[in-house]
Amino acid sequence: MSEPLVSVEGLTKHFVHREGPFGVRKRPIKAVDGVDLEVHPGETVGLVGESGCGKSTFGRVVLRLLDPTAGSIRFEGQDITRLDAAALRPLRRHMQIIFQDPYSSLNPRMTVRATIGEAMRIHGLVADDAEEEARVADLLAKVGLRPEHASRYPHEFSGGQRQRIGIARALAVRPRFIVCDEPISALDVSIQAQIVNLLGELQDELGLGYLFIAHDLKVVELVSRRIAVMYLGRVVELAPSAALHREPKHPYTRALLSAVPVPDPKRERARIVLEGDVPSPLDPPPGCHFHPRCAIAKRGLCDREVPALRAIGEGHQVACHLAE
Amino acid sequence: MGEPLLRVEDLVTAFHTDEGTIRAVDGISFELAEKQTLGVVGESGCGKSVTSLSIMRLLPSPPGEIERGAIRFRGRDLVTLPEREMRALRGNEISMIFQEPMSSLNPVQRIGKQIGEAVRQHRGASAKEARARAIEMLSLVGIPAPEKRVDAFPHELSGGMRQRVVIAIALACEPKLLIADEPTTALDVTIQAQILELLGELSARLGMSILFITHDLGVVAELTDEVVVMYAGKIVERAPTAELFAEPAHPYTRGLLASIPGYGAAERSASGRLRLPTIAGMVPDLSRLPRGCRYQDRCPLVRERCRESEPPLAPIGARRDVACFAHEGGPYRDGARA
Repeated sequence: MSEPLVSVEGLTKHFVHREGPFGVRKRPIKAVDGVDLEVHPGETVGLVGESGCGKSTFGRVVLRLLDPTAGSIRFEGQDITRLDAAALRPLRRHMQIIFQDPYSSLNPRMTVRATIGEAMRIHGLVADDAEEEARVADLLAKVGLRPEHASRYPHEFSGGQRQRIGIARALAVRPRFIVCDEPISALDVSIQAQIVNLLGELQDELGLGYLFIAHDLKVVELVSRRIAVMYLGRVVELAPSAALHREPKHPYTRALLSAVPVPDPKRERARIVLEGDVPSPLDPPPGCHFHPRCAIAKRGLCDREVPALRAIGEGHQVACHLAE
Repeated sequence: MGEPLLRVEDLVTAFHTDEGTIRAVDGISFELAEKQTLGVVGESGCGKSVTSLSIMRLLPSPPGEIERGAIRFRGRDLVTLPEREMRALRGNEISMIFQEPMSSLNPVQRIGKQIGEAVRQHRGASAKEARARAIEMLSLVGIPAPEKRVDAFPHELSGGMRQRVVIAIALACEPKLLIADEPTTALDVTIQAQILELLGELSARLGMSILFITHDLGVVAELTDEVVVMYAGKIVERAPTAELFAEPAHPYTRGLLASIPGYGAAERSASGRLRLPTIAGMVPDLSRLPRGCRYQDRCPLVRERCRESEPPLAPIGARRDVACFAHEGGPYRDGARA
């Protein structure tokens, strides 16, 4: 196996929640709580979970857009966990992000040309204006837009087109790793497939590694080689995409898979409807975070001991005391 | 079958903007029978939400205006109903729930009061009766400890719980018709599953009809009896839900179904990568519609005729209609005539 592009160990991110008069009481929110993950060149790793599970925070910490509380992040072998801003800057261009909302992630006052060209200039990737213009036109063609779009502003585009601009912006600095944070959730169904295909083509062509964050298991399953399922800051299951779908081991993964509405009215479904909500990360349940909603939880075990992620099959890991 | 609960006839809803008049809904007709659930599906801008706002008479006006058509609800035409009578209907016989539960709740009022308001308004209930009804409704929508939660503020509840409260408000007066506009879109899948199950159960128990507006065909398959598919302000297909999924007739419906990840047949490219089927291009700008069929630029079956005139919604079977010239000589399957 190739050397990992990104390798994360025991990654932890706590936020401080202040409460009481004048916010004098501080309590930690463990948004990400000891996550290990690797992404290889040319590989897509999916990261799924519901809102508040820490998946977006994880993506941002990996890129050092947020500072980790503990753990380590390696990019192409180099430890970047504690690098300062200046040391990090030359590495930034290799690690990019595509955001969920193509409406708020583009500067409305900058033309497409300025948005895409800015990063190239900052990183000294183009010698002059002419080269910049040519590169922008190249990138636009690559993401399926026309050269004349370069002089337009974001409001002149549809949601799908804006997401293409966001992708072109990320590609402008020739990255090797891209965090795709819910890149298609804000788009219409017929446009989602276009963007998924585009991301796939670009990966084949450029050998990019993707961390694909989404709440939609179906999409993640199609694009990812491996999938990690997160619940309240921890990875509860990690498996090759097909194995996860065929044989989900963790009760949470099973519930998540069965909750996805299936466009087939005739299918009699054995749906597992979870009771209650995701607990507050301020006050997570002891032991296994999932035990209060779990159908098979065992008292005295699941509510006391944190299950470790253990191997259960070929490349398949699960954090559950009872999974077989 | 007698008179349907709701009958929309040739509805045209227009917005008067600086760039001219845009017909967001352009001559649609459909019916909803008692105790039935009808799904209205389409992508952003197809006119599905404008349809629901037209029925509720909640269009921002100006610039919005119902230009033509009738909306018959239990024998009355809502288009011409005086505002005072309309107000007596809303939240009483017809209720609506929206996508974002936080913005449809009053943040500074206890939820019990918000639920009780409708029964006080429409049924003349006393404060005490309203509170009792609120507690009853909270337990109906599956909120634990309703006697305690009745005094909670919206911010103290999770997203899923808030949507349950919104449903409790909508159902407090036992409406005949519930309009649900993307009620689960802002929720996580496990919470969405809870809310869909709740809506299905409540409609059966209360004998209520639901007009369910969504872009998610998966949700439609779970909950509805019949579906209409909208595209650029028009209905392009209508069918019983099972038939629509078994044999979608309009090229747009087929494209929409195929592009659902995991549903359509994905192809493998030379590099072994999965390629999802897509619908090429995008929805036309309503202020610059092409002559002829609105789907022509994205349609794999487009012919000369489609660019000249607009196909009418025509029957192709019992309770099945489609607006496509390809169906004139009988139904086709997979592009070829059957």
